[in-house]
Amino acid sequence: MTTSVNWELKREVEDFLYREAHILDEHRLEDWLDLFTEDAEYLVPLREYVQGDVAPAGHPVIKDDKQMLTVRVRKDATGYSHVETPVSMTCHLISNVVVDEGPEPDEVEVLSAFTVRQARKLRDEAWWAGRRRDRLRRVDGGWKIARREVHLDATVLPRGIAIFF
Amino acid sequence: MSTVEGTGTDTPDAGLPTATRWQDPGAQPAASGSAPPRPRAGTSARTVDALREIVDWEHGLVAPAIHFDEEVYRVEAERVFDRAWLVVGHEDMVRKPGDYITNYMGEVPVIVVRDAQGEIRVLVNKCSHRGNQVCLFDRGNVKGFTCSYHGWSFGLDGALTGAPMEQMLYRGELDKAAWGLEPVAQVVNFHGLLFATFDRSAPAFESWLDADARWWLENFVLSTPLGGLEMLPGWHRYRSPGNWKLVCENFIGDDYHVYSATHVSWLAMIQDFMEQGVRIPIITYPGTTDGPMYEGSAGGNGRGAPMGMGMVVADNDSLFKRDLAEAQELGPEAVDWVEYRREKLLELAQGRPVKPYSFMNGLVYPNMALMGFFSPMLGRHFQMFHPRGPVEHECWQWTMVERDAPQVVKDLAVQRVYQGQHGAGVIAPDDVENFERMVEAGKPARSWRRPFHYGLQLGHEDEGPKGLPGNLGPNPSEVNQRQFYRFWLEMMERS
Repeated sequence: MTTSVNWELKREVEDFLYREAHILDEHRLEDWLDLFTEDAEYLVPLREYVQGDVAPAGHPVIKDDKQMLTVRVRKDATGYSHVETPVSMTCHLISNVVVDEGPEPDEVEVLSAFTVRQARKLRDEAWWAGRRRDRLRRVDGGWKIARREVHLDATVLPRGIAIFF
Repeated sequence: MSTVEGTGTDTPDAGLPTATRWQDPGAQPAASGSAPPRPRAGTSARTVDALREIVDWEHGLVAPAIHFDEEVYRVEAERVFDRAWLVVGHEDMVRKPGDYITNYMGEVPVIVVRDAQGEIRVLVNKCSHRGNQVCLFDRGNVKGFTCSYHGWSFGLDGALTGAPMEQMLYRGELDKAAWGLEPVAQVVNFHGLLFATFDRSAPAFESWLDADARWWLENFVLSTPLGGLEMLPGWHRYRSPGNWKLVCENFIGDDYHVYSATHVSWLAMIQDFMEQGVRIPIITYPGTTDGPMYEGSAGGNGRGAPMGMGMVVADNDSLFKRDLAEAQELGPEAVDWVEYRREKLLELAQGRPVKPYSFMNGLVYPNMALMGFFSPMLGRHFQMFHPRGPVEHECWQWTMVERDAPQVVKDLAVQRVYQGQHGAGVIAPDDVENFERMVEAGKPARSWRRPFHYGLQLGHEDEGPKGLPGNLGPNPSEVNQRQFYRFWLEMMERS
């Protein structure tokens, strides 16, 4: 496997993803929404075993546009969202970042791996792990997320999904 | 049946007087109106010996001991899950010979498979030789099942077809006919929905689920007169705290929680976004309608397993008009479909004084929940709540849409239903959170005997329009929770 790496670009993209992780862990969800383009897609397929192979379990459990993503964020802001009352403590660890050219000149395809620990109340917790495939687009000198696929390594979700990856 | 009294020494509230009704079964019901019963002193006596006392469904009083006690859980496996007719899947999951899915009946792993003759079999997923699982995948197509331990092989019908070095090691003395996979005793295909029971002497399916329940199931769940349902591939599953009965009672009849507290964030958000003019599927979700809605009940009352339906829309055109308005945005095909299915539903109700259109949520006892049956613009979740110990369960769900609906309707229905009452939607996670809190608060045994209040609409169950199979009553109600626990108690008391 030989490939030439654009280290400058890789460092820039990594920095973007790390900053994004901190925004999520600080629960600045409106700021997080600003990181998405207006035409963004956010998908979370689940897995199942089909005759020995890991395959998508039908329709993704989440298949959002930016408006639907906004709905999820605003639901928590109503003050009545029990599943986020009190708010979850999360720690997003992002690694294994690989950056490739995207379909458009101002876009890149980014693979990364994540581990997310979600802690709630006194002792409730969930561990989430998987890989993300992002399409980032350069907008006004910065990066925005135009598409995110979150591939959770789970056939059975450890709890209902009420946090973001 | 022992009438259990506490020893008076083992709990902090030993000095308190016990509620009168525990000493006097003839006393007035406590659920409606009067002060709540005091915590029961003493939990040292076995819960399983006191079920009649603590599951007082007639008075709307059911004690949470049945959701926490490990012995209840063990006995329940034998008396409920080993005897009930349980849903194991849909025929669409196993269309061709060799197609299989794996699932659970209670905690027992099973394989649902179509054999070479086209017959659907349900087999215990456990090698007859040493008990190893013989099928590891969620679905697929195979010619048979081979155990990974010693290599015993089984056909699609479960028969033992071979053992490695059989002639040399067993010298022709292995009675293969006696050593197949355990078949689940009875299997029924009800308009595509597959039911099975371990119990050879279980009542016939038709008496387990009586004619009223089957009428609703056939027409309003499986939509047989409309052309039936189409399966979307894939299990969606999540773990949740809480005894399986807590979530089942939620689906069989708890519409009280929807508007009162649990889902108000969803409702508030819909309101906000509507006012801003946002019209995405979850915001225009048909979750309410003008005009009356009823609580539907079928079976139960000594007539087999109960089936409950929440938010039954009958003699009320507002939801149909709403569906029609939405169809007009989707195009003429969608309009035709919505009008056609309305006509079919009216035909179905011909000669009946009441015309039902749909219902929202429901449950067929013991653990098959239904969600999204309100409108053709909503996909339909079939959710099995599998027990996983006294205080945990797993939700296994699949989703269907009306087979003959135009693609635009299906697309909308699917997108919308996953955004709502689903493990990754904006509705179900709030339910899961409540169960988590109930488990945290309910684990200590000291309060297990203090009953919960199931008194909603007690004595008013029949105050709905007459003339349909089953019963319609006021909604929200806890009539179906009472029927659920009544039937559960009957099963638990049958030795």
